[in-house]
Amino acid sequence: MKTVGMDVGSTTVKAVVVENGNILWRDYKRHNTKQAEMVLEFLGCIERECGLAPARDRMFFTGSGAGFLAPLVGAKLIQEVVAVAAAVEKLHPAVRFVSEIGGEDMKTVFFTPSGDGTSKQVYMQSACSGGTGTFIEKTARKLSIETEALAKMRYEGMSLHKVSSKCGIFAEADANTLVKSGVPVEEIIASLYEAVVYQNLATLTKGNTPVPQVLLLGGPNLFFAGLQQAWRHHLKKLWKERRVAAPDGMDPESLILVPEDAVYYACLGCVEIGEGENPDVAVYQGTEKLSWWIEKGQHEQKAKEGASGLISGDDEFQAFLARYGCPSNNGHSHPRMSGTPAAVSPPMESGVFLGCDFGSTTAKAVVLCPKRELLFSCYVQSKGNPIEDAKSILRQVREAGFEQIAGLALTGYGKDLLKDIIGADVGLVETVAHATAALHFYPDADVICDVGGCDVKIMLLRQGTVSDFRLNSQCSSGNGAFLQGVAERYGTPLEQYAEHAFKARSVPKLAMGCGVFLQSDIVNQQRKGWSSEEIMASLAAVLPLNVWVYAGQLQNLAAAGKKFVLQGGTHRNLAVVKAQVDFVQSKVPGAEIVVHPHPGEAGAIGAALCARESYREGQPSRFRGFDTIEALDYHSTTNEHTTCRWCPVNCRRTFIDVVLPGAKGRPWSKIPVAEGRERVISGNSCPKGLLEDANEMRVVKAEMEEVKRAYPNIAEMVREDAFRHPRVPVEAEDRDT
Amino acid sequence: MWSTHQFWVGLFGALGVEGRKLVFSSDTSEEQSRQFAKGRGTVDCCYPVKCMSGHYGELVARDKHRKIDVLFSPMIASLPSFLKGHVVDNLACPRVMAGPENIKSGFLKENDAFKERSIRYVTPLVSLADAPLVPKQLHPHLKEIFPELGLEETKEAVRQGFEALEAFNTQARRRGRAVLEHCAAEDRPCLLVIARPYHMDPGIGHEIEVDLQAFGYPVLWAQYFPTDPDLLEWIFAADLKAGRIRSTFDVADVWPSSYSANTNEILWGAKVAARVPWVAGVIRLASYECGMDQPTYTPVQQIVERSGTLFFSFQELDSTKPAGSVKIRVETIAHYLQKYAAEIIAKKKAVAAPGCPFGTSPTENSAAAEAASAAAPA
Repeated sequence: MKTVGMDVGSTTVKAVVVENGNILWRDYKRHNTKQAEMVLEFLGCIERECGLAPARDRMFFTGSGAGFLAPLVGAKLIQEVVAVAAAVEKLHPAVRFVSEIGGEDMKTVFFTPSGDGTSKQVYMQSACSGGTGTFIEKTARKLSIETEALAKMRYEGMSLHKVSSKCGIFAEADANTLVKSGVPVEEIIASLYEAVVYQNLATLTKGNTPVPQVLLLGGPNLFFAGLQQAWRHHLKKLWKERRVAAPDGMDPESLILVPEDAVYYACLGCVEIGEGENPDVAVYQGTEKLSWWIEKGQHEQKAKEGASGLISGDDEFQAFLARYGCPSNNGHSHPRMSGTPAAVSPPMESGVFLGCDFGSTTAKAVVLCPKRELLFSCYVQSKGNPIEDAKSILRQVREAGFEQIAGLALTGYGKDLLKDIIGADVGLVETVAHATAALHFYPDADVICDVGGCDVKIMLLRQGTVSDFRLNSQCSSGNGAFLQGVAERYGTPLEQYAEHAFKARSVPKLAMGCGVFLQSDIVNQQRKGWSSEEIMASLAAVLPLNVWVYAGQLQNLAAAGKKFVLQGGTHRNLAVVKAQVDFVQSKVPGAEIVVHPHPGEAGAIGAALCARESYREGQPSRFRGFDTIEALDYHSTTNEHTTCRWCPVNCRRTFIDVVLPGAKGRPWSKIPVAEGRERVISGNSCPKGLLEDANEMRVVKAEMEEVKRAYPNIAEMVREDAFRHPRVPVEAEDRDT
Repeated sequence: MWSTHQFWVGLFGALGVEGRKLVFSSDTSEEQSRQFAKGRGTVDCCYPVKCMSGHYGELVARDKHRKIDVLFSPMIASLPSFLKGHVVDNLACPRVMAGPENIKSGFLKENDAFKERSIRYVTPLVSLADAPLVPKQLHPHLKEIFPELGLEETKEAVRQGFEALEAFNTQARRRGRAVLEHCAAEDRPCLLVIARPYHMDPGIGHEIEVDLQAFGYPVLWAQYFPTDPDLLEWIFAADLKAGRIRSTFDVADVWPSSYSANTNEILWGAKVAARVPWVAGVIRLASYECGMDQPTYTPVQQIVERSGTLFFSFQELDSTKPAGSVKIRVETIAHYLQKYAAEIIAKKKAVAAPGCPFGTSPTENSAAAEAASAAAPA
């Protein structure tokens, strides 16, 4: 009689087949959200290769996807932590602490000897991506690191940077910021491991001290060497702090185990528990019901549960496409686009105005003529290095025939870094750039909704001026990166998102709210058999709720106005536009919704418009010129010498030394810069950090103190004086009030 | 602690604990909790309460030359608010009040971390809004530290504590008034922060207002807004005249259930912000999922915005300063302040009552004053 232990996880299916204590077969495969199908494939394989027989052999399932599938094949469900604990107790009786990191969850188990056996305390976290495998992979994918390379990346000896440990989506944003400051990917990954271990120790130990021996389980712990190193580093440190002695003077290193078959522990635990069960329990019933479920059952259940798709009928869809489907129309009742990128005019004698938006995922540039008409636009996918991005985008501008630049404005995350390097006339904060761009095309706009890669901005306009704005870049819910992340997970290029989403006739209902919860909700829906198209459609459908209500906190949309402008790259996605239009119209009867003629370039257009606005006749642009930019040579350094020491925050800065004609260099620096190079400091979080040298600091500090004296802050007085004995005796008259 | 600091300094000073003998844990920081709260965390959705683990840990972990003998962490049930007498009650947030009980469990779970380091843990419940009660509440606990201490001595120490706190608050308000006078004289804008006192802690409020200060805007805090009668009577002239409020500290017109001291101060701050011309912008800070703050979001925002004052809120703050987004927001705020402040000041001055104590006379004629009373936000 054979016993099968199968672990149906959030990203993979694992199984072992055991007979008389020997492992006959085992395998581990990603299911790409098709859990039932993969389980069927596994069972077929086991039947063929091991002679698994219905009505004789037994089967035990565990994992987040098992609850639903187990009954279909007669398997008994075993809770995952129970399964893991059983395997650990059998194989490693000396283990006192287990960390299992899965694709979308993490667990810790404390084993405490009590009486004859051990008592187990289990903590599990599956509501948030912080500290899980997805957390690592998501960021690695963003950084374009191959899985093999990722597995080999180290933790030891790496400089660490601050990466949010709480939320995978924040971590990705942090990683993005680090890349932009020129931090090497190896260091980012090491920082990510640091964050994962910290998150596990901080949230899943709940006042217990993990004592030896320690067992690390699950895919990420097994596959990522750096993660193992991070665990070893932190555990050894913790043991030292808490005076946890290694038994018999053993090397602490040898007390942290990562078994090679770490991914199979839940399966092995299933078998272990199963063998203690009554023999008539969990008898395999064949694949008939499972096949029925895959072919029919799941669709029937879905139909019962779902909401209708993004499109309610063909006519309605055609009407929508007629209004929004054509890029030159964009829902505007009387199209009046001034210039499309195709209509490149000959280069102007007097010069053109260039606006560049160095965003989180792409860099964009537009060229306007002095009459504010759009002549050209282009973009590049951000390579993570702002200087390379700038070179690449300016190359495109020049190749299009624009040599004479009358004014240059930058916006986006990269603006501060690049302003002096490229020689921009204006550095404009993103929000203002976007508002300027919208008001240029729609002076009667009431509301601008900009959904970008990493943030959502809502600007409320009254009488043509921005009266209020909401910016949400702290919460990932509703932003484009999240949508893109899901599309990537399904292997769908973003350009085809809408095409896929419109195919869905019914969609699962996703809850509004935190992107991380949405992510687990998606896993849930997948489990019920919803397809990628349907999930993508439902995600588009829930986006407006997240944008307006959850992120924007606008409960009463009607109070905001009647004319809504949608911009930001995410609104290139027609599925999103459809959902936005339906949502806004349902909240604001008679609302007019338009998509900015250049949703993705709105920021750059706004910048260019501001460059035009600040242009004064006869005053040359600060732009250094295409040749200078093209020839920019630089190297970046991030190490202990670049760390900011001016305050206890100790920002980890990056020094980017760029070759610039006429630059003075910094011979006095700890990391000297030769003449002809200009240092750009990034990664600092306050103006103080822009200075590396004490002399320089003194001058600037004096200036800052001067500003602070001139513009006092009552809280500074509280911070300075409230927690000490009064330095000067308080005068009697002071007490009378 | 951030609104009662000097009470404790004064109290312990009177009891002979002075200078280096009285130490406060350092400002909250992520490093602090990483280093000292690891594995000591307890379940609490309130971020400022969670931070206390790091503060306890830091104090407990001091090396032997700097070791503390007593960890004193009062459970403050009510606060000595300047609105006392004009509001229903002055209670502290119950979650913060009970924080010490929650946090200490992280230090007792495996073994008694206090006892191991021979630290006495003292956590009296104290109603600071009810001064006569305070000596009786504190005495039994202080006696654990000072076995000889009598009730009379405790009374005197409490008196000195309140005196020290009052002196500090008066000085802070005086400085606030100086800022306002300067703004009025030069018609320059300032910002008012509306937040809970612990948002002054750099690890909880993330010094967001400091970034704006660096753009050249002085920053006032609602808690330390000057309370001089001449000023407040001018600010609230129309409301007093119309009988909407009973006193300049009355918040019943906008917040009838005025039980919570800090919440009351927040609402009062909003009213002040709406009426003072030179307050061109309000910075609202709130911590993640704060149940006390949530019902105040809309009223505070509406009170401020209806007056034409710019309103910028940073909600859901927690351990990490989202440096990137704060930077964008601060720059955006600075952009709009620069663009609109003069306009806002002029507009608010136009509707302000006559008789500004700073000597500027925004409204000369009675017609404007009437307009002011009609337009004043309710």
